[in-house]
Amino acid sequence: MTPINPDQLIVQLTQWALSFLDSYPLVAVLVAILLSTVPLIAVFPGCFAITTWLERKGLARIQNRIGPNRTGPLGILQPAADGIKMLLKEDIVPKTSDRLAHFLAPVVLMVPAFTILSVLPFNRNMIPAAVDTGVILFFALGSVSTLAVFMAGWSSRNKYSLLGGMRAIAQMVSYELPLVLSGVTVIMMTGSLDTTKIVAQQQLSEWIQSSNAGLQCLGQIIGWNVFTPWGFAGFLIFFVASLAEINRCPFDLPEADSEIVAGHLTEYSGFKYALFFMSEYVSAFAINGLSTTLFLGGWSGPNIRPPWSDDPNALLIPGFVWFFAKMFALMLVMIWIRGTLPRLRVDHLMGFAWKFLLPLAIMNIFVGGFYYYAPRWHGIPVVGWPIGFLVMYLSYECIGRLNRGPKTAQRVYHYAS
Amino acid sequence: MIITFSILSAIAVISALLAVRLRNLVHATLTLMAFFVALAGLFILLMAEFLAAVQILVYVGAVGILILFAIMLTQQVTGNVKEHIEAHGALWGLAGATAVLLTLLLPAILKTALPLQPVVETIDPSVRALGLNLMAPYTIALQVIALLLTAALLGAVVIAISPEKSEEEKKS
Repeated sequence: MTPINPDQLIVQLTQWALSFLDSYPLVAVLVAILLSTVPLIAVFPGCFAITTWLERKGLARIQNRIGPNRTGPLGILQPAADGIKMLLKEDIVPKTSDRLAHFLAPVVLMVPAFTILSVLPFNRNMIPAAVDTGVILFFALGSVSTLAVFMAGWSSRNKYSLLGGMRAIAQMVSYELPLVLSGVTVIMMTGSLDTTKIVAQQQLSEWIQSSNAGLQCLGQIIGWNVFTPWGFAGFLIFFVASLAEINRCPFDLPEADSEIVAGHLTEYSGFKYALFFMSEYVSAFAINGLSTTLFLGGWSGPNIRPPWSDDPNALLIPGFVWFFAKMFALMLVMIWIRGTLPRLRVDHLMGFAWKFLLPLAIMNIFVGGFYYYAPRWHGIPVVGWPIGFLVMYLSYECIGRLNRGPKTAQRVYHYAS
Repeated sequence: MIITFSILSAIAVISALLAVRLRNLVHATLTLMAFFVALAGLFILLMAEFLAAVQILVYVGAVGILILFAIMLTQQVTGNVKEHIEAHGALWGLAGATAVLLTLLLPAILKTALPLQPVVETIDPSVRALGLNLMAPYTIALQVIALLLTAALLGAVVIAISPEKSEEEKKS
């Protein structure tokens, strides 16, 4: 009997369950597929329900309201009430709409949103699909959501829907560039597109395997990419671009309710609307999961080896706790931003992507390359870190200054002084 | 394997036919994208997952969206249903196209030993090998393509800048 390792408990349980099916390989494959997909389909809608409640409560707090408080303690059952309402609502399809495309749009949005979750490593040995090209698969499938939004906008035969769809395409295509380019820096430094390898590269295995508890804790944190100049800049660019990619405030122009009703969602009701809503949140989770993986060390966090274990890789707190903690922390920042920032104008939105984020992301790639080849002193990047930081800061300042529009003269009031 | 291949190929052929035959341009584009996705599935079947990902990223994510953008700028999305293009000698065209395709493909088909699947499984499909090939033997080709794309990009920018607008800006 091997000592229990809390970190790997679920993985060991899965293997134990599968060991009964050794003599039936075909059944074992089916069960293994179910064991890796069903948790995704069960956990993430649950997270979605919690997040909608969190968002309502958080926004209410920011806007000096109370928020949902009638359904259960603190309104925690509000998502259930919402779900029942959505399910019972009539499904209205406009008479002139393109029925097939109108029906398929939520499905086309939903499938990639859930599929991209499968390349995220939630813990050691806990990745639904361990593919060699995880990151690029994520971006590729993520880009399909643009198509779904367009389908929804076009098939509704509504001016507002079409405008929302066109805005969504323009925005998502533009922001995909800084998103991917800031991820490219990490891929370049790791030398791999494999998400598990990207997480492993952010852990100092020598420190983790030492006997000192403090070093074990620190070894799980100090190597995160966000603590390097290129990683810090990359993380910020990635986060801002991901906000735009999933149409969240302040980039929610495709569904700007003060201008175009609800954009591509205008003609959707009932369960189809709920599907749209859910896919949006699931893709938000997915993209936050990817930024956690790329920049925030994935499932590694302040963690020590359990005192009863001799295995140098055993951990006391399961890694997925840290993964979900970081993912939810990023989600909370998104809610916070939604509550505090006003919506951008269309031309500002485009200018921000093409004139600011894109050059900064390209600059970041150069800084990453410099950091990689800069001389080190006992493994510490004494040259790469300060110079990389300085270059990133200066390019941020310069690009920001170049982007400043012509200064408008102060308005003079002739009659109302 | 053969079942998956048949299903994917059937989807690919049917959606390709629909993409050509449908009167509604947006529908045609959507079926074209279904074709691209089926093709990506075929690539995965050949263990080329990187190629599949790039297929979706480039063709569904970029080219398809570009086509949709172009269609949205045109006047009439749906063609006139009653109007039919008079196609004299459609059969001749079909025969000609088939002949050209066969002459191009026959040498390759004759050279290959079928079935391919065992051969495919021995190939190293890693991205690393692909990258090393792009960096060592095919560097010049890569550079030429990069140069071409940059030139196209600059050309697009030059076309987009209208000369009248810049004069207006000078005045103001």
